[in-house]
Amino acid sequence: MNISKITNSKQEHRRWVFSIFVFLLFIGSMNLSAQNRKLTLSMEKVSLRQLFNAIEKQSEYKFLYRDIILDDKKDLSIQVEGKEITYILDQVLPAKELQYKIQGNNINIIRKTTVSVGTPVTVKGTVLDETGEALIGVSIVQKDSPGNGKITDMDGNFSITIPTGAVLAVSYIGYLSENVVVKDGKTLKIKLSEDVKTLDEVVVIGYGTAQRKSVVGAVDQINSKKIEDRPVANLAQALQGVSANLTIQTKSMNPNDNQLNINIRGVSTMNNNDPLIVIDGLVASLGSLNQLNPSDVENISVLKDAGSAAIYGSRSSNGVILVTTKKGKIDTKPVIRMNSLVGIQSPDVLFRPVAGYENAILKDQAAYNTGNTLPYSPEQILDLQKNGAGSQWFLDEILQNALQQNYNVSLSGGSTSSTYMVSAGYVNQRSNFVSGTKPSYGMERYNFRTNLVNQYGKFKLTTIMSYNRSESNSPNANVGNLMVDGSRIPNYYYYKQKAPNGHYLINDVLSQFTPLASLEAAGFNKYDTDYLNGSIAGEFKVFNGLTAKALVGIDLYANHRSSRGLEVAYYSSAEATAPSIMQNIGGSTSDWNQKANTINTQFLLDYDRTFDLHHVSGLLGVSNEAYSSYSNEIWMNYVDSNIGIPTSETALAGNMGGGTTPMGTTLSDIASLFGRAAYSYNDKYYAEVSFRYDGSSKFAKANRWGFFPSVSAGWRISSESFMESYKKNVGDLKFRGSYGVLGNQNIGDYNFLTVYNTYNNTYAFNGTTVSGTGFKLGNPVISWEQSANFNIGFDATFLSDKMYASFDYFNKVTSGILLNPVNPSVLGTAVGMQNSGKMQNRGWELTIGYRAKTGEFSHNVSLNLADSKNEVLVFTGNEVIHSNDDMSQIIRVGTPIASYFGYKTEGYFKSYADIQNSAIPVGLDASQLAPGDVKYIDINHDGVIDPKDRQILGNAFPRYTFGATYDLTWKGFDLNMLIQGVGERTMYLRGELIEPFHANYSYTMYQHQLNFWTPTNTNARWPRLSLSGSTSDQNNYGYSSDVHVLNAAYLRLKNIAIGYTVPKRITSKFGVQKLHVSMNAQNLLTLSPLTFFDPESTEFGNNMGGTGGSGANSGRSYPTLKYVGFGLDLEF
Amino acid sequence: MKQKFRKYTIGIISIILLSLTSCNDLDQIPTGQFTDETYWYSTEKASYVLNMAYNQMMGDGYFFANEALSDNIFVCRSSDEKFISSGIANATTGRFAGEWADCYGGIRTCNTFLENVDRVPDMDVTLKARMKAESRFIRASLFFRLATWYGSAPLFEHNLTVAESKAIGRSSHEDMLQFVRAELDSAAKSLPASYIKTDIGRVTSGAAIALKARTYLYENDWTNVVSTCQQIIDSKEYSLFPDYAGLFSIANVHNAEVILNIEYVPTLRTWSQYFDFAPPSAGRRVNQQAPTQELVDNYLTLNGDSIRATSSGYNENDPYVNRDPRLAATVLFDGGIYKIIDIKTAAIKDSIINIKPGSGTVDEYKSGSGNNSLTGYYMKKYYDPSYTGSFNSGLNLILIRYADILLMYAEAKNETDSKLDEVTWNETIRPIRARAGFTTSNALDYKAGWTKEDLRKIIRSERRSELALEGTRIFDIRRWKTAQDVLNGYPHGAKYGSPSVDNGYIRLDKRSFNPNRDYLFAVPQAQKDLDPNLGQNPGY
Repeated sequence: MNISKITNSKQEHRRWVFSIFVFLLFIGSMNLSAQNRKLTLSMEKVSLRQLFNAIEKQSEYKFLYRDIILDDKKDLSIQVEGKEITYILDQVLPAKELQYKIQGNNINIIRKTTVSVGTPVTVKGTVLDETGEALIGVSIVQKDSPGNGKITDMDGNFSITIPTGAVLAVSYIGYLSENVVVKDGKTLKIKLSEDVKTLDEVVVIGYGTAQRKSVVGAVDQINSKKIEDRPVANLAQALQGVSANLTIQTKSMNPNDNQLNINIRGVSTMNNNDPLIVIDGLVASLGSLNQLNPSDVENISVLKDAGSAAIYGSRSSNGVILVTTKKGKIDTKPVIRMNSLVGIQSPDVLFRPVAGYENAILKDQAAYNTGNTLPYSPEQILDLQKNGAGSQWFLDEILQNALQQNYNVSLSGGSTSSTYMVSAGYVNQRSNFVSGTKPSYGMERYNFRTNLVNQYGKFKLTTIMSYNRSESNSPNANVGNLMVDGSRIPNYYYYKQKAPNGHYLINDVLSQFTPLASLEAAGFNKYDTDYLNGSIAGEFKVFNGLTAKALVGIDLYANHRSSRGLEVAYYSSAEATAPSIMQNIGGSTSDWNQKANTINTQFLLDYDRTFDLHHVSGLLGVSNEAYSSYSNEIWMNYVDSNIGIPTSETALAGNMGGGTTPMGTTLSDIASLFGRAAYSYNDKYYAEVSFRYDGSSKFAKANRWGFFPSVSAGWRISSESFMESYKKNVGDLKFRGSYGVLGNQNIGDYNFLTVYNTYNNTYAFNGTTVSGTGFKLGNPVISWEQSANFNIGFDATFLSDKMYASFDYFNKVTSGILLNPVNPSVLGTAVGMQNSGKMQNRGWELTIGYRAKTGEFSHNVSLNLADSKNEVLVFTGNEVIHSNDDMSQIIRVGTPIASYFGYKTEGYFKSYADIQNSAIPVGLDASQLAPGDVKYIDINHDGVIDPKDRQILGNAFPRYTFGATYDLTWKGFDLNMLIQGVGERTMYLRGELIEPFHANYSYTMYQHQLNFWTPTNTNARWPRLSLSGSTSDQNNYGYSSDVHVLNAAYLRLKNIAIGYTVPKRITSKFGVQKLHVSMNAQNLLTLSPLTFFDPESTEFGNNMGGTGGSGANSGRSYPTLKYVGFGLDLEF
Repeated sequence: MKQKFRKYTIGIISIILLSLTSCNDLDQIPTGQFTDETYWYSTEKASYVLNMAYNQMMGDGYFFANEALSDNIFVCRSSDEKFISSGIANATTGRFAGEWADCYGGIRTCNTFLENVDRVPDMDVTLKARMKAESRFIRASLFFRLATWYGSAPLFEHNLTVAESKAIGRSSHEDMLQFVRAELDSAAKSLPASYIKTDIGRVTSGAAIALKARTYLYENDWTNVVSTCQQIIDSKEYSLFPDYAGLFSIANVHNAEVILNIEYVPTLRTWSQYFDFAPPSAGRRVNQQAPTQELVDNYLTLNGDSIRATSSGYNENDPYVNRDPRLAATVLFDGGIYKIIDIKTAAIKDSIINIKPGSGTVDEYKSGSGNNSLTGYYMKKYYDPSYTGSFNSGLNLILIRYADILLMYAEAKNETDSKLDEVTWNETIRPIRARAGFTTSNALDYKAGWTKEDLRKIIRSERRSELALEGTRIFDIRRWKTAQDVLNGYPHGAKYGSPSVDNGYIRLDKRSFNPNRDYLFAVPQAQKDLDPNLGQNPGY
């Protein structure tokens, strides 16, 4: 009884709201402006365009027209006082064969059509969108008689009486208008497709916005649609593949440490290549980006060139990512949106061990090949085969499928003077590592956000407040160890991690600890982060065109880690009564706390005015950004095994340690003055200059300030009269270019000072330890890195804006790169960074979009393709080689940074004679080699393979990166696909995935290694089998060589989603505006020449290891995850 | 008027905002570190720099890795030392770069101390003089290391500038040794012969003289070895510690035999090499290096004969009985005893370790196993059962001890005189053997029939047995120029191998030593690239 009452009243309320809505729209369609402003004009000999501009200036009206329908004749004179707009337009338009239509503040100017005279019929119809949803409030107007109009009702239906042969103009804001010729009284079904409005799109740029058509920098904007429905835990993951030359490499899919590399336009410095992150106008950290709720994001602008980025001066040389969060809209009723994504992530380990008995045979073969005694007897092999069913690969035992859930709810709307957007989100991603009985590993994040905008006359106040909390529980074990210890055990039935009686077992291979016990019993690391981000921005319209803005924002982080190491007992067998080894002896407890805040204040003057065809804008601002971080840490060993508190043993010296706040304090500050001036003429010629003057506390007083200017220009050639036919037949075409100097100071603090660090327990005298002091020399003359950045490109549209293309070429030269100088060891100490390196980075990017409709199908395709190539121009000592774990990489002038370096091979020795006649590595004994061993190229023909024969083997930075999205809708169904990949990249992999029985460390071979050389398989992928430590093994795998180099190009179906929107006529019965269900999958398919390991994996960060080099990739990263799940979107 | 008002308002607001906004100053200095301006103000802080120099004088890593370069040890896993002993090292090998950089790092610390200590206000003059001498000793020891490994290397007495570091050339081996000896002489004068209490472990005048003796020994400058060692013997500061095995026990650190050592403290300043040396049942991680059969064979039988001598009573099938007791103190063999810690009770108990194949224990030798010893032997000397955590031991590592001085003296006397005489024998080899646990006269007594050559063999073999696993063997075989004999060919393990190969002794990875090249380390390639004046040693 009660329930039905509520429902009734709800329906009544809805009907009432709807009636008002329809009424307002109806009034709009009747050429009645919401604001009946009186206009006063006095103009002599002006063109229509000038008249329109004059009216736009005086009022809120905006004229919409296609350029070609206006002549530029200055033949109008008009004198009116306090007249309505319609009066003026009725006076001037008929003479120009034009007519108008007023929709709200928009005045559409169209060519005049002759009035039709047919038999009036009553036509009924429905207007639907591309997904088959009914559109409410669509205007249906007889084209030659604008007074005859109707709008569609709640089910998208209309009925209109119109002469046969007349044209019905069907229009709706945000959709492309359609013209329908009425032939008879048949019911019409009209479909409207969304208007992409490529050129009118508002693009967020540094400290402001601009229309797409007037943007002259290399700016890419990613809209919420591309992010919203992706089942990802953080924003950066969602950005992969969506923008050209925004290269995102997933280093680890581990929910507990989602390591990503973000590069905009490749590598241009040997230091940190992180782009600058700006969220709602406030500079933020990369970490903050991933704390954001992807559903809260309205759009993301990627500023790639100097023209667009120079306003961020000192920190923009690696590009800028501007994130704008969603706001409510003026005059909209409250909308509640809910969406949820729930799915399973399954680990996709691409390598598998061979069967146990096979492994024993292969090990015997390896031993035989190198003249060692055979480790397995035929009986043992037979035994392994007989009992093979009882074996389990350890890795399978520690990995599992994991649940991922994303839920979001938001409420947004607005009155005439204020808007609001309130949202809450929850993400829960479980780890794929098993955890025993404890709370499982994984991460959770809660997001809350309130974005409010209030307008009081000339004053506008924007308040943003968001709070995010994330909690992560991760194993007290290194992922690399877990992966490799899980994978290097052969499939022998007698290897077990856990006995039925619960004993954790060790064996002769894993003699220290096992991954299962480490995960189940060895403790945990719990991280939690509270992140508060708030800002208050006030805007005041000082006078026509001039706005003053002030903004104060704060980013507040509270990070905390609590770790426990728990003692684990390992037994040599299930029967053993005493453990034979302990892990984490005594157990440990540790805590780390950090509070960090960034306070950002800005004051801006913004000027924007149009004088006839001249558009002038300017910006002047000051900003200060202060970063403070305070942290402390404590750790204790030998603690109570249950609750981790100190025991008497803890009190003994050396079992406790940590750091206090003075040791964990970082303070830095940047003060800036910046500005921009832009001028454009008739949307045809554009010119812009901008600058920023920054002072940073990271440099000594004398070298603190840097000036970063840029200029850019654009030319819409398609607006020139000589291009009229091009414009008519092809579309819009605009050339643009920019040049500027940007900065980078993304280095540690205090490099300019010589510092002394004191360490405990450095040495001892008579059994008592003493402290020691180390030092690092400062370099007082360091200053900013500067990158000179040239960009040239074009934007074009084709096929009446259905297709657009944008191309950019860039050339960046970064000089004064802050390097940790590579000095001779005889110097005896490290010296702070110096401005000494120089790098060039060149490349291009192409973006193409296309929309089409074939019958009931709507297609939307976008494609981006990009390349960047860097080259070291100046480097201390001209080159440096870093060698780590049989991998060498070189920084050499004239080549890309951190290229793989080593020996090239020419297949395998064919015969003993071949070995005798070939150069072999220095020190190796030819008699110990055999056919099937690797043959290296002796490039200097000195008869021996030595370091002089090394060459560049490849580079790991992705080239020819691409992304493609395809959206298809058919009736209520929709399909979205994102394909992303890399066209050229090499990966150097070492360790057990390359070398069988690697260094007596791995005990199993993998299936992908089976194609090895034998006398009957001479065309093999891998060299002949040999035992670790043998000369053959040293020859084949012991050097940095192309044996380890793999082609890591790939194409990945990153995301695919199929959805269905339940027709509104059904859902509306339940008060639901929109109900969309979908099925999503991520990483479902990967095509790559590299089949046994994730081609995206990399050992490098975004600076390719910088000048310090990087450890080798041993293929022990968290596995790639495949996601399959369901999504549900609801809108009320 | 209105416009003007606005302008002022804006101006004022922007000034206020700018001043309000500067939450942090643009002038920032670290809160947790000292800078050059704030450091040199107290004796204590100055001493921290000297302490760092001690830390850099020598580390446990090189201490054991040096042994791995010799024929006493087989390296079971990949390492730079294995590269070097396999003959495949080149100018880019990590050890060459590491040793070079570590030595010069320590030298910088010493020079920084020497150049700045006078800035410390009101420092005790005597203390300052002593600390300067300590610093100069450490610097000299590092230059000596460089001269020994690389032949010649840059030599300087002040902190280099970056520009100097890129142009400096190598000083000759002789100039380096001359500098080292002069510095040691000067240090010996300023350093005390011994310390009391809290300063025990600092370098002494004895250490300076002993190190100087080594500088002569490595040059086969026998006359000076004799005279320098004589100084130490005559000083009567040092004596043999009665218990050979106990010499390497934590209970007996700083005993009268120790001349120079690296200082450690349980749980606070420790080394943990045995994590990768100990047998499996002791809870090791992997087996990085293991003693060879060649080392084991060097130990005499209890009656003082070599195992090759028919009179020795050596039984190949029961090889570890009736042997020089130092064998059992140095090497763990099948049936030997190791002190195993009971994980639950933390009690230390003697355990018999069975390594022989078929014994069915975790310690059993397995062909091709990477985690157990590949030689069938494990290291024992310096194994410290009082370790905490993962073999974190606070046991000091001895760099020079008195027995070494006696052996140097005996060797030099044999070379300088017609041959070692009985008097010197009774002052040197005899007490060393007696302390080792030999009792028979055949083992202890001088035999008049020995030729100079016989005695040379005896002394060299004695030196190997006495000092095995103490990091000295590699320097001995290099100065004797026998490295090309003992570091070429196959090393061996225990008699657990295929009977058809090398009489059943496990044949291990072949070694290679090129006498035209390998007596010197290469100048690190990267250093050569940065400083074209360095040149390179022959063969690299």
